[in-house]
Amino acid sequence: MSAGVIAPPTAGAGTATVLGRAAGAEWVRLRTVRTTWWCLIAATVTIVGLGAIAAADEAEGTSTAANPIAATFAGEYGVLLGQFALLALAVLAVTQEYASGAIGPTLQWTPRRGVLLAARFGVVAVVVTVAGVLLALVADVLARWIDPDLTLSVGQAADSLARVAGVLLAGSVLAVGAGLLLRSTAAGLATVFLLQLVLPLLLPSFGVQWMADLGEWLPGTGAIWALLGEPSSMSAARATALLAGWSGVGLVAGGLSLLRRDAG
Amino acid sequence: MIEVRGLTKQYGASRWAHGSSAVRAVDDLTFDVQPGKVTGFLGPNGAGKSTTMRMVLGLDRPTSGSALVGGRPFGRLGEPLRTAGALLDAQAMHPGRSGRDHLRVAARANGIALRRVDEVIDQVGLGPAARRRVKGYSLGMRQRLGIATAVLGDPAVLLFDEPMNGLDLDGVRWIRRLVRELADEGRTVLLSSHLMSEMEQTADHLVIIGRGRLIADASMAEVMRGESARRQVQVRTPSPDELAGALLRRQLRVHPTDIGDLLVEGASPETVGDVALEVGVAVHRLAEVHNSLEQIYLDLTGDSVQYRVAAEPQPAGQVQR
Repeated sequence: MSAGVIAPPTAGAGTATVLGRAAGAEWVRLRTVRTTWWCLIAATVTIVGLGAIAAADEAEGTSTAANPIAATFAGEYGVLLGQFALLALAVLAVTQEYASGAIGPTLQWTPRRGVLLAARFGVVAVVVTVAGVLLALVADVLARWIDPDLTLSVGQAADSLARVAGVLLAGSVLAVGAGLLLRSTAAGLATVFLLQLVLPLLLPSFGVQWMADLGEWLPGTGAIWALLGEPSSMSAARATALLAGWSGVGLVAGGLSLLRRDAG
Repeated sequence: MIEVRGLTKQYGASRWAHGSSAVRAVDDLTFDVQPGKVTGFLGPNGAGKSTTMRMVLGLDRPTSGSALVGGRPFGRLGEPLRTAGALLDAQAMHPGRSGRDHLRVAARANGIALRRVDEVIDQVGLGPAARRRVKGYSLGMRQRLGIATAVLGDPAVLLFDEPMNGLDLDGVRWIRRLVRELADEGRTVLLSSHLMSEMEQTADHLVIIGRGRLIADASMAEVMRGESARRQVQVRTPSPDELAGALLRRQLRVHPTDIGDLLVEGASPETVGDVALEVGVAVHRLAEVHNSLEQIYLDLTGDSVQYRVAAEPQPAGQVQR
């Protein structure tokens, strides 16, 4: 501290500068806790591992020169399950702050809550999406190497990775929103897990029409369609609307929670 | 400078809750915290000190009223750490992050150079522990890290909520010196503490609240001399009975002390000396007795204590007569 001299309050940085710094701080926050790295390791094992197993399974199967199958199914299967390690990263990035009380200091360092909101959603979504797309690509390449009968063109990869990116972008925004709204790790993880995978798979299996109908409206139904193309009766527009709609709900509900409520 | 205007925080007032359950944690508080002084923020547990500080920092939303820090609402500042630094709750840190990384996040968010992070680590004496995870820190180390964060942006305003908690004597003396230095440099320092003796030694000005309301806003000297200070005069005389009788006839309250002196309430030394001269009693010692801040504080907040022990034990070392 410079003795006796106090700098006058600065005129203040512009919103773009403040947002850039807040995003930088979010990135430092993410990479300086082990949780993030554990989640990324878990995602790597799941996505690349499941992709490799699926490819090895396929190697004894149907892909032939006459009837080629794209290697991208490896990354897609991997992401279907492995997304939860990445979405857990997103939930924990938010809820660990409420568990430890660190949200207090966070808001003292970035008191403009709209700025913090944008930085938090943005950085977490980018980290989750980039990590997931890279891992899916590794799984695809590995699958192609395991079973040389599989094909992997740039076009196939781009199409598949775009769908993976869409699922993870929507899922991470929903996960951050759930974390901000619920402020509890357990509740946040359970909510995301149920909406994104368990209920969409479970509800139709009861054979009760209204349950099946309800399942049609969940974000996971859109995610499963985007990754596996099932059910084939669903349209791309509907799947996109489901993913975008639910992430919009997460963004608004979580955003209002951060903007309106006491720090916690 | 901190300006608090009609600040009110009501809990349980949502439209779903029953009206009767609403609690005013902070009730129409108005006061200023001036630069260049250490302002002590006193009040019993639950009086609303922490809630007030949280509202000043924009963490909690006031039900009504406002607070300005350096002339602006804290919640709109782009580089808040350059305007005001605070240590509210030293436990409120991510346990898995190192102390240095904790500071790096704060520096990054406020456009502060990394060099400054290492400066404040040295300044608070955290040393090599800064690279360890906060999980393994003692409360004292967390307090030091919290203070390092508060001074990181070289701010003109500082708020400390119970910064001496968990510190050993060296730590307490260090905080006292630091707080003094910060105020002497012309900064605004708001310091809450329940350690009255510490406050008596450190604060220049006092803001005392109870049940969310303002009880006193005055300089330390005014509080110590004020009405509630219950001025007392201690007098030593070879004939206490005679003097006590004369004082009692003038409607003054007199108590014997355990060393045989008389304690006269609500009188000045002049009055007691004059009475002694009138009745022709020798006086060997005549002294004004100042109450400790603790006693004054207890008198001031006596009605506003929310959580009181059912039966207060007699203070040790005092003989009831």
